[in-house]
Amino acid sequence: MARTTCYMCACRCGIKVHLEDGKLRYIEGNREHPINRGVLCAKGSAGIMTAISPARLSTPLRRIGPRGCGSFEAISWDEAMGIATDRLAAIRASDPSRLAFYTGRDQSQSLTGHFARMFGTVNFAAHGGFCSVNMAAAGLYSVGGAFWEFGEPDWEHAKLFLLFGVAEDHDSNPIKLGLGTLKARGAKIISINPVRTGYSAIADEFLAITPGTDGLLVLALIHCLLEAGRIDTEFLIRYTNAHHLVIDAPGAPDHGLIARDAAGREVCFDRASRALLAAQTVGTDPALSGRVMLPDGRYARPAFALLAERYGDAQYSPEAIAARCGIDAATIRRIAAEIAEVAFNQPVVLEQPWTDTAGREHATMTGRPVAMHAMRGVSAHSNGFHTCRAVHVLQMLLGAIDTPGSWRYKSPYPKPIPCASAPGRPRVPGGALDAPPLGCPRGPEDLLVDEAGEPLRLDRAFSWDAPLAIHGLMHMAIARAYESGPEKIDTLFLFMSNMAWNSAMNPGETTRMLTECDEHGNYRIPFVIVADAFASETVAYADLVLPDTTYLERHDCISLLDRPIGSAHGPGDAIRVPVLKPDRDVRPFQDVLIDLAGRLELADFADEQGRPLYSSYADYMVRHERKHGVGPLAGFRGEDGLARGKGEPNPRQLERYIENGGFWRYELPHEQRYFKHANRAYLTGARTMGLIDDDDQIVLQLYVETLQRFRLAAEGHSPTRPPERLRERIIRYFDPLPIWYVPLEEALSDRARFPLHAITQRPMAMYHSWGSHNTWLRQILSENRLYVHQDLAAELGVADEDWVWVRSRNGSLRCQVRTMRGVNRDTVWTWNAIGKRTGAWALKHDAPEFGRGFLLNHIISEYLPKQGDDAPHSNSDPITGQAAWFDLTVSLERCATPGPEETSPRWDANPLRIRTAPEDTR
Amino acid sequence: MTMLPERAPGAKKFGLVIDLDTCVGCHACAVNCKEWNTGGEAGILPDYDQYGAQPDGVWFNRIHSYETEEGGCSRTVNLPRSCLHCEDALCVTVCPTGASYKRVEDGIVLVDTDKCIGCQLCAWACPYGARELDEKAGVMRKCTLCIDRIHDENLPPAEREPACVATCPARARHFGDLADPESEVSKLLEARGGLDLLSDLGYRPTNKYLPPRRATIPSAPAPAPSPDGKGLGAALLKLLDKALSR
Amino acid sequence: MRPATSILLLTTATGFGFGLLAWLGAYATLGLLPPAARVLLAAGITVSLIFASFGLAASVFHLERKERAWRAFTQWQSSWLSREGVAAVLIYPVAIAFGVAFWRDGQSLWVRLLGATTLIGSLGTVYCTAMIYASLKPVRQWHNAHTAPDYLLYALFSGAVLFAALRTVVLGAPGAMASVAAGMAAVAFVAKRAYWRHIDQQAPLATLAAAIGMPNGKARALDAPHFSENFILRQMGFTIARRHAARLRRLALGIGFALPLLLEGMASLAVAPRASTLLAFACAALGLLIERWLFFGEATHVSALYYGRRV
Repeated sequence: MARTTCYMCACRCGIKVHLEDGKLRYIEGNREHPINRGVLCAKGSAGIMTAISPARLSTPLRRIGPRGCGSFEAISWDEAMGIATDRLAAIRASDPSRLAFYTGRDQSQSLTGHFARMFGTVNFAAHGGFCSVNMAAAGLYSVGGAFWEFGEPDWEHAKLFLLFGVAEDHDSNPIKLGLGTLKARGAKIISINPVRTGYSAIADEFLAITPGTDGLLVLALIHCLLEAGRIDTEFLIRYTNAHHLVIDAPGAPDHGLIARDAAGREVCFDRASRALLAAQTVGTDPALSGRVMLPDGRYARPAFALLAERYGDAQYSPEAIAARCGIDAATIRRIAAEIAEVAFNQPVVLEQPWTDTAGREHATMTGRPVAMHAMRGVSAHSNGFHTCRAVHVLQMLLGAIDTPGSWRYKSPYPKPIPCASAPGRPRVPGGALDAPPLGCPRGPEDLLVDEAGEPLRLDRAFSWDAPLAIHGLMHMAIARAYESGPEKIDTLFLFMSNMAWNSAMNPGETTRMLTECDEHGNYRIPFVIVADAFASETVAYADLVLPDTTYLERHDCISLLDRPIGSAHGPGDAIRVPVLKPDRDVRPFQDVLIDLAGRLELADFADEQGRPLYSSYADYMVRHERKHGVGPLAGFRGEDGLARGKGEPNPRQLERYIENGGFWRYELPHEQRYFKHANRAYLTGARTMGLIDDDDQIVLQLYVETLQRFRLAAEGHSPTRPPERLRERIIRYFDPLPIWYVPLEEALSDRARFPLHAITQRPMAMYHSWGSHNTWLRQILSENRLYVHQDLAAELGVADEDWVWVRSRNGSLRCQVRTMRGVNRDTVWTWNAIGKRTGAWALKHDAPEFGRGFLLNHIISEYLPKQGDDAPHSNSDPITGQAAWFDLTVSLERCATPGPEETSPRWDANPLRIRTAPEDTR
Repeated sequence: MTMLPERAPGAKKFGLVIDLDTCVGCHACAVNCKEWNTGGEAGILPDYDQYGAQPDGVWFNRIHSYETEEGGCSRTVNLPRSCLHCEDALCVTVCPTGASYKRVEDGIVLVDTDKCIGCQLCAWACPYGARELDEKAGVMRKCTLCIDRIHDENLPPAEREPACVATCPARARHFGDLADPESEVSKLLEARGGLDLLSDLGYRPTNKYLPPRRATIPSAPAPAPSPDGKGLGAALLKLLDKALSR
Repeated sequence: MRPATSILLLTTATGFGFGLLAWLGAYATLGLLPPAARVLLAAGITVSLIFASFGLAASVFHLERKERAWRAFTQWQSSWLSREGVAAVLIYPVAIAFGVAFWRDGQSLWVRLLGATTLIGSLGTVYCTAMIYASLKPVRQWHNAHTAPDYLLYALFSGAVLFAALRTVVLGAPGAMASVAAGMAAVAFVAKRAYWRHIDQQAPLATLAAAIGMPNGKARALDAPHFSENFILRQMGFTIARRHAARLRRLALGIGFALPLLLEGMASLAVAPRASTLLAFACAALGLLIERWLFFGEATHVSALYYGRRV
């Protein structure tokens, strides 16, 4: 029996893997593991079948036919590594950014990102841009943490739980454990979601909201709370910037910024002394309303006053927004009252003394037991950043951030706002970047743009197109590589990402771009390397395939430098260990990347003589130091293995992890478990562990000044300013307070023609594409249907199992219908990534996934409709570049004539055909 | 012996209590059950047409989703369906060979696959569709309540529960002795009231389902809109007027 | 319920076999067999045992593990299937002894006793078969007061038809059996219609809401646990279209009962007795196969409720 970490999805649960005669016998949850505490989901249990999946790649491959047709020859690893090294070395010698390196839901971004940084390419990102960057960015810029990865509800104490846009996934076991805990305690769960399945099924109240209007609902709730005076003013002045004075001087270069004193400290107006004081001064009575004259004679207003004025307005009243949200006004008012009731009349008081950053000692920890969680459904709209901001603002107004019963930070969060590192830029030609390629811009000066304000990055992240694209725009990588041509991008290096199918916003366009040639017959995207464990749809489009192992055959680290397994109870990280020996000629991708980096003699991967520093990922995990004493693994550091967070590398570190069940966890003392953003003991401890660089209070940003900096630049008040075509857009969307607008694609679509919303979600049993071909999971779902509200179906004359055409401005698809009641009346939806391309995933030609499954992506586009002469914008959030999957609008029509009983579009099969080399050439 | 046993005084009545108020329908129990009760590659719970047109296999536990209306309340209910280890188990008495039997000591209904002739009559006798034929071995298969876990002295006591219960991520599944009024499951039933599936058929299932509920928050009536439509009403102004201390 | 060929053959063939045996036993018991009927009785017992054996052999083919079939004799205390097996096996020596006794002695008390035992044993076996289905509570079309009497009736009807044909072949005329068979056909016709009326008017055994434990609510299936058909759906989820069923019902009534009624009537009036009785037998056999197919095909199993099917 071995204890390792699951990888059937991104949840990082601890598993116990039992072997019998060297074969996998049973995988179960590890009861000691902090993430899953012994439970395991359907995917995790099905892992034993993924480990023997026929879709596993078995040898390195070189393309021999036209790209996309699936013809390859098997080659040796020596040859494969030689090809990759030569190609990348040549790129590096010219312009390292001609390598575009994009990874999927991998959990080794601290390695892949570091590779990109040392290689010197700005063109690196992982899947966050098409997943939930709105959530991450809004959280990091508002509260220094975020839902899911960096925060969790206080399941033990919450009495009211609001779940926005999460039906079945993100995350898997922890949220189920949490919901079970809430249920056992009799807490109320309200699900705000167009679709009532999964978690929404057990919600005590389900609000079938119209997609893209969650922000409006939240702002209406805020309106009601303001109206009733039910907000936590003490929390606001102590922990947020509500009382910070915002300069009110329209047209001035600092209009809308926070007023600061000579020492550069933000100021507030102290009603006790009737003076402007540093906002963080202790013992003041700061004003939250009114208007104050600054020493220079200009006026300023507390941030809260701006907020109250905006959301107090009748345009945010429930009555004004009810129709748009599809939720009646009385319900919204009742829910606001329930929130207020729980927050203010039923506080949770823990008899736990603690000391805040101002030095005040508190006898108890008192919290507002209203917890919230939000994910993809909120995130995947082009107004998602502001929607998510609105949720955080609601939390702040209630005093429901990291207090007992509310939403809590998962260690190592909170982090300073915005995070410490701006996106890396090339330092010297051919050299490394000056920082990791992904970071948080603090203002226009941190953008990656040229003198004309045009993007440096391929995907236009950190440009005026998407200034806060802190996870990059992976969904645009192929389209932009195609657009910019071979001069800009030579090699597209994809790891664990199905970019030619369900991860492409439009697979048809994407595969066209991957296969299109110029007039000389050269591919417009010259070279494509794909590293993956399975024969996904994307593998057929590779020129070179580097076969990865499964998660049971390799080392991995779930690092604090990436997205660890921390919880509100303390930081933690974990490893994967090989349980099985690969039975085919594959290598762990991380080993391959380290090998490649060594061959390329990248700094931090090779010594001065160009000799590789690390023999394997396992070796790297133990010996690599990002900065002194800080490495991929935080536990059992130092010679004696006793140091946590910071410490010398420990050669026995992996053994210690294995002894400890494959993970390390530090339990925070009870006094550090809440108010982490202003908890003296916590912040000091976190600094000592190397989790944060300084232990100042992290002031929550009710009002995000950073956004205003971009807006001012667009108004011409900065040396770095957007190109003319983007000015209005920046001014409009970079509002320091949450705004709501009709999602971009929806606003540009002809709603008379396309009156319905169309969204997808992942079924709980398979919320990652690499698991959905699993023989057990596909026994559960091997086809998908389009779910339609019964009333809508009746209106359209459509019944269960009828074939329909779904049309959008981008195209049409044919599929079958299933009717239901628990869905927003004007929304249709389906399971994502059940539909597969004929021939992929080693399924037989008559597999239902091919002819009965379908992918909504075929009628989505990565571009918005063209407006005027400008090139079309990407179909993304204008702030973060988040892919706006759920902005899609469609029409539905019963198939008039009986066509073939098959979903469409259905493409020609392109199964992998592999020519093996004769024995003697091996 | 396919006569139903007389319940001995003090005999246990092992069964599951499944909370429909908490089940999210994730299929975790079903897959872990299949995993525990099979041998991986050398599987004893067969799969058919694994990667082809009709992927199918033997499962002891299947998860359905329903939309219900009760008392003016519409909801989605996820229902895990497996053997309910009935007290009046017709599947046992119809068995011509004695392969199907109900244990005296704990009431678990089992199939002795060495005796089963694959006549399938037991599957016909079960109103819950809980028995599936192993078409490779030609014998009937069904939930064993993980008899090889719950009585395994080599396992730590906390792990001596069926795989579906151990793995359930929402902790919607509970296992215990329903004959013991002091057991956790009995107390849960006492508190929540248990549902029998198809109670009118008279099989007297041992497994019980806890009904969905609806938590509410009694709260003061929602404030009406402020007369001028401006949220900066008297309540907020009064609040903002109060002295604060940073 | 899926109409498996093996079970259709089992129930139909044993019906003919045990039905014929029952008539032979009844004749002997009542002393209606003239001593000259030795050949007829020998042929009758032989034919009935061939039919019964064919049916029982077919039923073994229904078993997944035929080599273990012997185990089915052990649980006669509780299982109608086991009882059927035991009864079917016990009837052979009795029937043979009956035949041998008659051959040797003609009429005697022993013959009468053995005849009565044969009558009871063969009808008992048919009753056991019927009770296999009638005892299955999850299938409303079986678990009712019609199933057992109907099975006995169809066995007696098919036995009578077979007897009439056999008598005609052996003795040149059906004797009273043609009238008896015609009468049985009429009764079977009425019984079958009564059965269909019953199952058509019968309330569903349960609602989906009750199946999921909420008998007072309403429920509708949203998602099944799997897309492909599994064992349960293949066995218990079998359905036939209403129109198709109605056509088959007409065929079963027409071929299975009305035509034999007509033909046996002709035979009893001595109109082409040989052809009439043989044709009547052929019609009855075909009609009963259709009838039996419907008995399974129209039966619904309550477990299909879980998949949102009507039961």
